[in-house]
Amino acid sequence: MHNEWTLRKRQFCTLWRVFLLRVVDFDLLSADADPTKLIGQFATIFCTFSFVFSLPLVLIGGNELPMTDAWMFEHFLIETSMTAAGLIAILNWDAAFPDKRDLLVLAPLPVKKSTMFLAKVGALFAAPGLALVALNVFSGLLWPLLFRSSGSGFFGMLRALPAYWITISAASAFFVLTILTLQGLAANLLPRQLFLRLSAVLQTVVMCTLLSVYLLGPSLESPLALTSLQNQRILDWLPSYWFLALFNQLNGSTHPALAPLAARAWIGLGFSTLGTCAALLLSYFRLMPKIVEQPDILPQMRSVSWSPRFGSPLTQALTLFSLRTLLRSRQHRMIFSFYLGLGITIVIGYAHTVPAGFGSIGATISRSFLFASILMMILTVVALRIVASIPIFLQANWMIRITQVRSVRDYQKGVRFSWLALGVTPVVVVIAACLLFMYPWRPALGHLTLMAGLGLFLVELCLTTFPKIPFTCSYLPGKAQIHFVFWGGLMLFIRLLNKAAEVEGRLLNRPLGCLMMILVVACAALAMRLLSESRALSTEDLLFEEEYPAGITTLRLS
Amino acid sequence: MFEVRNLCKRYLGIPALDHVSFIARPGEVTGYLGANGSGKSTTMKLATGLIEPTSGEILFGGRPIKENPMAYRQRIGYVPEEPHLYTHLSGLEYLVMVAQLRDMDRHSANERIHGLLRLFGMHGDRDAAMSSYSKGMRQKILLSAALIHNPDLVLLDEPFSGLDVSSSLILRSLIKELATRGKIVLFSSHELETVERVCSHIVILHRGKVVADDSIERLRVLMAVPTLEEIFSQLAVETDSDAVSREIADLIHA
Repeated sequence: MHNEWTLRKRQFCTLWRVFLLRVVDFDLLSADADPTKLIGQFATIFCTFSFVFSLPLVLIGGNELPMTDAWMFEHFLIETSMTAAGLIAILNWDAAFPDKRDLLVLAPLPVKKSTMFLAKVGALFAAPGLALVALNVFSGLLWPLLFRSSGSGFFGMLRALPAYWITISAASAFFVLTILTLQGLAANLLPRQLFLRLSAVLQTVVMCTLLSVYLLGPSLESPLALTSLQNQRILDWLPSYWFLALFNQLNGSTHPALAPLAARAWIGLGFSTLGTCAALLLSYFRLMPKIVEQPDILPQMRSVSWSPRFGSPLTQALTLFSLRTLLRSRQHRMIFSFYLGLGITIVIGYAHTVPAGFGSIGATISRSFLFASILMMILTVVALRIVASIPIFLQANWMIRITQVRSVRDYQKGVRFSWLALGVTPVVVVIAACLLFMYPWRPALGHLTLMAGLGLFLVELCLTTFPKIPFTCSYLPGKAQIHFVFWGGLMLFIRLLNKAAEVEGRLLNRPLGCLMMILVVACAALAMRLLSESRALSTEDLLFEEEYPAGITTLRLS
Repeated sequence: MFEVRNLCKRYLGIPALDHVSFIARPGEVTGYLGANGSGKSTTMKLATGLIEPTSGEILFGGRPIKENPMAYRQRIGYVPEEPHLYTHLSGLEYLVMVAQLRDMDRHSANERIHGLLRLFGMHGDRDAAMSSYSKGMRQKILLSAALIHNPDLVLLDEPFSGLDVSSSLILRSLIKELATRGKIVLFSSHELETVERVCSHIVILHRGKVVADDSIERLRVLMAVPTLEEIFSQLAVETDSDAVSREIADLIHA
């Protein structure tokens, strides 16, 4: 009995570690890359956020906060924590339930289903748990001390700290459990093949919803807003406010306005727990035997073979390969749609702050529309550049390497075309369609020409540092500095875009100004083209490895 | 003519190939044999240019392949040991992409792709994603991709892996046919019986060094043994297989 218990414990630990590391896709990494380094990088980013969240404390000092201010900070920290945990759960989407690989590897081994089940559940909660701890490593220790109920003194501080951690854990668990329930129900209710096809769409929708609610959710952190009748319907759909209420309940400072919301938090947590338990049990006992028997992808029945003709055969090959990878690889599609979703969210949020929104004001194009089109063009090209640097089936790139029969410049031409076709053209077409129906033709034509020029400039800019074929070069954690630059500069960037939209709006109404603007963008695009071409000419070989093995072997004696 | 001259390759200081030299001629199938880890696949990867040698050189048509790697790549066809493919593509899409990357004429590429798929019995599954293919089906796609452009040098690393009996018979005849038509075929395999039937010339590697480089007939006469299996056992097998199998059985019974 004792031996069996020890064996199961060992099996659990081994499986738990394996399932946890599924968050990192090892196939993407360079041969010498360390997957724990990638996890460490994510943890560092979260810790940095936590440090930044703690900075306002310098201004506040140890002073007690007014109730509405305290609610605002409490709500922000709870909502951020639960969104981060939810995003990790969404990224971990494929690993949530056992797949064919798990079953084929583990079925012949003497591992009990329950051990596998517990290890999987443990790993599912470990990744969001780690993110939660990292995100609150500073803010979760300092802020709760200011959240004590008024007049409660030192013991109030002692009570606020566990209350805060229990609340963020419960709030994060609620999101993670709800996401698991959704996924589990879809997996059990839909036919397997349909689920495999719809799962990616569902994942994208859940992620966009989560981000939109986080970025666009209304600010209701006052007793008046929380008790107002017109806000009650929206509060029913905003779980972050339920957990704000729960925190105040645990903290001993329940305001009458928060009591019903706290009850909702408990009910929500209960339902999501039940839903997840049901989904997991159904998946393990009903779904698992079926997974082994069915192929993951059914043969596609296609009567007409369609292959568009454009450019050289190399251009065709690179463009179709990029298109198919974006459409069929869940991971690439998710990252791409994350950036587009972020852009759309910012655009919607921005439109609310500008008078007339996207509507026409006389003969001029609204600033919201100009802002939206510039932002979407930039985000689309940046997203393409980022997603193209993440490989698909890295070990399969040998075929591309041995068929490299032309110069780097020829490959660059193909990549340029594919980025223009898949990134710039769709944005220009959407902008053109909107302009056609909403605005007079003269400024519309000017804006459209400018957007095309901007797209060309951005593609050339991205090509200057991309001597690769999209999706074929290994990904080395730490090399993709573009993420940090992107996030760091986002706020500044939005302010600059706002200014750019304002200037463009003014100049579009003056023919000479408009012409000058187009000329400047065209010259910038041309200069960037010359730079990217000269770099391609001086590059001998395409890059397939971010890090090659060192020529000299170090003995690491020190 | 394909010539390997004094080729050395070290991985983190450990030699994988140690001054390997041999010649493969047009019209003959050169069998490349060796135990696991003897350096066969390393030689194949060096021959395709996927990795760089530590020293030594590879010549094709009397010229180092480094001199004009792009022209060299146009003339080689390669089947790797592992069937790593872009499995999110269908078999047809993959072959079309290979043809486009090789800059082949669209019309002739289409004709050859459909012809190869039909002859390998894959035409019915051409539109299915390769993730749903069996190992043998993937191997057929690899073979098609290696031959689609009519290469002069065919590098086959364990090409029979996963193939069914009928496909293996087809491939066996195909290798001979390619040599008859003047191609240089370098063929690595562990199936000694097949090698004996197909190859006119063999190179045996042992611990990264060439221990035999001659025709099978001459090796039989020189070593006074009747089969390739015995030649291989004498030159490249250090262990007594019966003794090892007894030890394994003892170990798992203990």
